[in-house]
Amino acid sequence: MNRDLTRRDVLLGAGALLALPALPAWSIASAPPSGRVAVAKCKTYGPELLPAMETMFDQLGGLDKLVKGKTVAIKINLIGVRSQRLGTALMEDTFWTNPRVIGAVVHLMGNAGASRIRVVEGPWSTPETLEEVMLSMNWKPQDILSAAKNVEFENTNYLGRGKKYSRFMVPGGGLIYPGYDLNHSYEDCDVFVSLAKMKEHAATGVTLSMKNVYGATPITIYGEGAGVDEPSIRPHGGRGGVFHFARRMPSKSAPQQIDLSLPKDAGYRIPRITAELCSARPIHLAIIDGVKTATGAETNYGSPNRPQAAINPGVLIAGTNCVATDAVAMAVMGFDPMAIRGTAPFVNSDSTAQLGEGLGIGLRDLSKNEIAGAPIAEVVFSYSAVRDKILAASKKA
Amino acid sequence: MALSAGSIPMRWPAGPLEIARRKNTKGFSADTAEVLRNWLDPASLAVVQGTPVNCLVISWAAGLPEDAEQQQALKPLIEKGKQAGLDFVGLIEGDANRTAAIAAAQSAGLSAVALEGEPPEKAGIPVIPRNGHAHMQWTANSPIVGVSDGKWPGIPQEMMPAGGPTNLPWVDSNGAFIQIARALEPDKSVWIEFEAPQAPQPAEAYMLAVADPASYGARWVISLDDALRADLTAKKQPAVDTWNKVTGMTAFIEQHKPARTYQPAGALAVVSNFAGPDWFPGEETVNLLPRLREPFRVIARSRAEGASFAGLQAIFYVDQEPPGTQLREKLIAFAKAGGTLFVPSKWPNPEGPPVQAEPYLLFSLRALGKGRLAVCKEDHPNTYDTVADIQNIISHRNDLLRLYNASSMNFFYQTSAQGRQGVLHLLNYSRRPASDGPLFYVKEPYKSAHLVSPELASPVELQWTPQEAGGAELALPKISVYGAIELGS
Repeated sequence: MNRDLTRRDVLLGAGALLALPALPAWSIASAPPSGRVAVAKCKTYGPELLPAMETMFDQLGGLDKLVKGKTVAIKINLIGVRSQRLGTALMEDTFWTNPRVIGAVVHLMGNAGASRIRVVEGPWSTPETLEEVMLSMNWKPQDILSAAKNVEFENTNYLGRGKKYSRFMVPGGGLIYPGYDLNHSYEDCDVFVSLAKMKEHAATGVTLSMKNVYGATPITIYGEGAGVDEPSIRPHGGRGGVFHFARRMPSKSAPQQIDLSLPKDAGYRIPRITAELCSARPIHLAIIDGVKTATGAETNYGSPNRPQAAINPGVLIAGTNCVATDAVAMAVMGFDPMAIRGTAPFVNSDSTAQLGEGLGIGLRDLSKNEIAGAPIAEVVFSYSAVRDKILAASKKA
Repeated sequence: MALSAGSIPMRWPAGPLEIARRKNTKGFSADTAEVLRNWLDPASLAVVQGTPVNCLVISWAAGLPEDAEQQQALKPLIEKGKQAGLDFVGLIEGDANRTAAIAAAQSAGLSAVALEGEPPEKAGIPVIPRNGHAHMQWTANSPIVGVSDGKWPGIPQEMMPAGGPTNLPWVDSNGAFIQIARALEPDKSVWIEFEAPQAPQPAEAYMLAVADPASYGARWVISLDDALRADLTAKKQPAVDTWNKVTGMTAFIEQHKPARTYQPAGALAVVSNFAGPDWFPGEETVNLLPRLREPFRVIARSRAEGASFAGLQAIFYVDQEPPGTQLREKLIAFAKAGGTLFVPSKWPNPEGPPVQAEPYLLFSLRALGKGRLAVCKEDHPNTYDTVADIQNIISHRNDLLRLYNASSMNFFYQTSAQGRQGVLHLLNYSRRPASDGPLFYVKEPYKSAHLVSPELASPVELQWTPQEAGGAELALPKISVYGAIELGS
């Protein structure tokens, strides 16, 4: 990279074509921190799960140092339409964070001395309690609630139990929005955990611990049915209208888009919004469930070239830095963590991790991070290979 | 011949009156006129020969100069049809002299006439009241009621989801109206009319047009578009194939009579008089619940005092007018016994102490014995939010059924009187199979489950897959238009 990019270049994506600089001039002054990431083999959600997670957390320096006496918010991933499963596969074995993983994390957090654990998520377009969402998928939410003391759920699609929304400003001013208004749970915690699934994504290539935070945004402000001036009381619609395609703006009460001429392309917008969110609401612990998951993204937009398949990579990843953790996950998925727009998995989008690096959150270069546990080479599960196999089979058929 | 619940009607547009009525309408051509003349020819009845269709609905009088000519021109068709065992129903419309038209119909040997508004008390032949859904003559002395403004079922193009496959598309269905009709007048047959769009329709669209009303216990007055009728008369393909599929679907549903003898089943009941200001919230509730996958039954308010609430977990009393003393006592007793009673904001003197509830809910909750009273906070709430909150308050813990991988489908659940048998009708409004076959979760599995469909050569035995947290799932093969799961114990 031998060209200085202006802020507008980066905003408009020119930087993406040339590969974004690690540290744009407008970004925060200090170099992004390196991270520590642990990888564990774990083929099932059975008895091997808890010890595998325990080992990972030990490799990261011990959970107690992070959560003892603290309030922890764990953002899980229950996104997508509940009624749309991948064949007969269970949602938790494809697109959603598995409840056993949630239960194991909650349990270990409790054992490590967390004083309060709040499991949070903004499931698609519903005000239902998370307990109800889980029940609708035949889960046993009580198993999670009883995995430690003082565990509670909160649907963060709306105001919830809070009296007002919490404002998070993006250090350095932001790429699309200068800040975000979120449910109080994201402020009322000492430790913020992103507990994601290891998935591909139709608009952003991959969706991992960083992209998981995208679902933290309240629909009452950022949904298609959000209030114009003030947040609506109830959540209506998805985030596509505001975030993916800028068909409308968020409620005026929230920080507004910096520049209305910015592209209205989901592959441009979502990675930037995600990176901003991770910068504004830093993730202390990133955990990725790659035991059972799916190729092809939960929202496939009917693309025959992106076939979905339930898969069993049998891996768990956890890290203290979300960019580093996602970079390791990308490598495990068979992608180059340093890939840029135009290269798999970022065929039609910018790299969220790259943008996160630009915002000073962390480093994608695996060599600059500390990686413990199972060697990546031993756990690589190529998503592209699965896709190619399915496409070849369908061509043959 | 006499009309009965077994009558299968088909609109038979033919003759000078049809030509006169349509000649100034968009798309009318010389070809259209020719087809309307051709279908006056008794030979055209070959189209329905050997099919389940046994009743033809013809234009009889419209208050136009062509009325007399029409009635005269139809005589050979009627004579030949009656010899073949067909019934004829004459439509009397517009400014027609009803008395004269009815007398002429009787003289011509029609089995009945159908007309708008209130039927005359003494007509000499059966009169089918035929009205728009908002002006139904439920109390008319006729075993058949006609509704003239049904919906061509499907997914309206303009309602296709714009934001990708993350929301369920809107579907046009006649299910809500028919369920209400059957609750208000359970002993009457409902004939529902809707025209095929004039653009050529695939066979699957016609199959859905038959299956949608039939699943809910009504009959579509089969109506073919002009081009299809022309091609059918000329025995051209694919018109013949489309017609065979229409009659095949009709025959299939006739063979599966339980659909009309079983009762709708669900943990929720919707109680309303479905009239006046209560029509919209009542009908819209019944229309939206299937999209939330909530099985339910409809109870006419006038019949609620005598209705059984057995098996119900919740009742939604829709009407702004409070119930009479006896019905109120019955509803309150239901709640006190452990049910949840949802009532509108104007419910006078709500019983029970308030209990805490999620602040966004449209309902405030009160403890009532072992159950709850849920009082709406708004006078005119959004109906979708209302039914979503009702489902949320009832809790998914009690879901009897869940349907996956079927965003363009609705299902309708019925059980036998003792609940030992059941049937799940599945209607696919996209008229094409999804990438994955539908998947059903059933809380209390039956012993057996078979999928029957005109799309299958023979019934398919479905396998129960027990779920860790209880219940079992049934994976179905792909369905383009209609299938029914027959459940037995």
